[in-house]
Amino acid sequence: MLDTTYNVETPEGIDLHARAAGPVPRILAYAVDVLYRTLILAALGIGLAFADTAGIGIWLVCSFLLEWFYPVFFEVLRGGQTPGKKAFGLMVVNDNLTPIAWGASLVRNLLRFADFLPFAYATGVIAMTLGRHFQRLGDLAAGTLVVYREADKAPVTLPDSTPLPPPRNLKQQDQQALISLFERHNDLSEARQQELANLLEPITQKRDSAALGYLRSVASWLLGGRD
Amino acid sequence: MKIENLTVRARLRSPWESIDLGTALARQYWLPLFLVWLLPAALVLAPLAWLLPEHPGWSLFAVWWFKPVFDRLPLFMISRVLFGMPVSAPTALKQFFKQNRRDWLAWITLRRLNPTRSFDMPVTVLEQSSGAARSARIGLLHRKHASAATWLTLTGIHLEGFFLIAAFILIYLFIPEQVAANIDWLPTLRGDTLALEWASNVLYLFIMAAVAPFYIVCGFCLYIGRRIELEGWDIEIQFRDLAERHQRKQQPRQHGIAGGSGTVSILLFFALAFGSLTPAPEVKADSLETPQQAQQHIDEILAAEDFHRMEQINGWRLKEWESKEQKIPEWLIKFIEWLFNRSLDTDDASDSNWGAAIARLIEILLWVGVIAGLIYLGWRHHDKILERLRWRYKPKPKIAAPETLFGLDIRQSSLPDDVCAEVQRLWQAGEKRASLGLLYRATLSHLIEDFQFHFGDHLTESECARLVHRRQREPREGLPPVTAPLSRFVQQLTADWQQLAYAHRNPVDARINALCQEWQEVFRNDC
Repeated sequence: MLDTTYNVETPEGIDLHARAAGPVPRILAYAVDVLYRTLILAALGIGLAFADTAGIGIWLVCSFLLEWFYPVFFEVLRGGQTPGKKAFGLMVVNDNLTPIAWGASLVRNLLRFADFLPFAYATGVIAMTLGRHFQRLGDLAAGTLVVYREADKAPVTLPDSTPLPPPRNLKQQDQQALISLFERHNDLSEARQQELANLLEPITQKRDSAALGYLRSVASWLLGGRD
Repeated sequence: MKIENLTVRARLRSPWESIDLGTALARQYWLPLFLVWLLPAALVLAPLAWLLPEHPGWSLFAVWWFKPVFDRLPLFMISRVLFGMPVSAPTALKQFFKQNRRDWLAWITLRRLNPTRSFDMPVTVLEQSSGAARSARIGLLHRKHASAATWLTLTGIHLEGFFLIAAFILIYLFIPEQVAANIDWLPTLRGDTLALEWASNVLYLFIMAAVAPFYIVCGFCLYIGRRIELEGWDIEIQFRDLAERHQRKQQPRQHGIAGGSGTVSILLFFALAFGSLTPAPEVKADSLETPQQAQQHIDEILAAEDFHRMEQINGWRLKEWESKEQKIPEWLIKFIEWLFNRSLDTDDASDSNWGAAIARLIEILLWVGVIAGLIYLGWRHHDKILERLRWRYKPKPKIAAPETLFGLDIRQSSLPDDVCAEVQRLWQAGEKRASLGLLYRATLSHLIEDFQFHFGDHLTESECARLVHRRQREPREGLPPVTAPLSRFVQQLTADWQQLAYAHRNPVDARINALCQEWQEVFRNDC
């Protein structure tokens, strides 16, 4: 089963799951960062125009700092998210899914130089595309990974249904599927929902709207609803 | 199309995640997809090169314009892969015209510049819909994923361009410097570069063919992701799995009931036979006659509150952390004030010069930064620094003197009071080995105790002797010096002992007397 998840097991036997982010969103996030940096540099350039030679010097120092330390600053102090990454819901983490620290961030950002070669991050894009977890060379060297940040789930309005205890022998995935059916009542057409509910006829002994109603009641119970 | 055969995990994905899945999928099947795209495109470019050698730009433009035509075969292949029925590249190539039958004209005219091409293409190629049905379908699909599909196309266009430039730079980097210096760049500037343009066309063709699988498969996965969301494929797969498991469990249970009756009758027989001997256990449960009743009873118990206890505890608690309020020391404030005053004083003469003022301000900030950095480093590593400082004054741990060397007991306590007399006595008694051994042991013992030699286990007799000799030549501070007679004595004794111990050659009697005498002389002070 092909998927883009990245799984880590802690020494305590807890499985952690993350979803590795691929080249396309990362390129776009980088483009957003470049845009912000360009805007800052343009504003600085206009602001420093009156201080002629000193202004040019300061501007060059600032552009150097922005180029090399802008990502480091945000990655370490802002939860692994540069503004571009934030816009796409991405974050940088260590490959054991712990937050990134100064050392790793510096390594992965200094190695942008290698990823840039021969032009416009061609090496980095190829490395990302070929790598199993979409890591560019800097990521491989620093042992880091770009993953999607788990977004806060927006509350969904659920249809009214009286909670009913579920049938036995439901695995966790089954329960999740039931809840998913319940929560997506607006996205899936009514006919399709009934069709899905009919698949469980051997268990529920019901059909169509009755089956769907029963499954909704069970999902409501699973979500913690009681009469 | 059977959803159960899906070779990727069906779950709700964000559009970006669907694109990532496409990247992973395209990576896995890249080579056949690349070939299936490249061959038809190359077959178009080759005749164009032959017919219009003067117009490389137009030829490439034609190939580029027909991209939607070439995109269909990789799409067809990957759709088969996704549902577990992969087709080989030659089989796919044979389908070229069949796959291009529907709406081909629309795709290379009206929809050529469609920014969501790879996302919309499956509707034409796989769903085979056109006209109003297609528009409605596209409208539904686009509701959430259109922007990601557009960005995907934009990224693809830029990647192709950047890769072309990168390829040229890479080639240039591999030209030796002395050759590159002699290249006449003038023709390229004049535009007199037909061969170069054709080379660039071929390069670009390969880059397009390399990027195309990713673009097509990403668009396709975006489409699949949207359908998973719209049609609940993830739910369907899980429900089918659950129903199948349920059915598998039902069948053995029915068998079990039929076969169980035999066992029941045997049990009944035993119960009747021994019922009079053993008191029957008291049955606490209510009388449940049929399995259905039991089942119902079990369900009731499981549904009861005991099995569904939930506790939810909410509340705000203060974390335990110490407030670290540090006052800025007085001297630092004065120092900074002094720095600013200093800069202002010197500025009086030229307050029109803003650049210099800013430079001075930055200078101050940099100095503050350096000082702060040093203080931070000192604070950060203060443990290590203190430890290092203490290390200097720590006395070296005394190395315990060994108790045996070369299998000889060299503890002072093991020696007789009058070593020489004992040596002489043993020698007279004929125990020559024991006699000389005792002398040697006594010597080593004294060297260790009185002269603070450290003889490790790894040393041989000769090496011990050499250590004594070295101490005699280069006396070390803090350690008792070794006189020349002592050193000579040790050398001689060691040689004699080695002769006796390993070669079984006894020294003459006079030699023992001489050694005893020397021993008494060199260790006189201690005896």
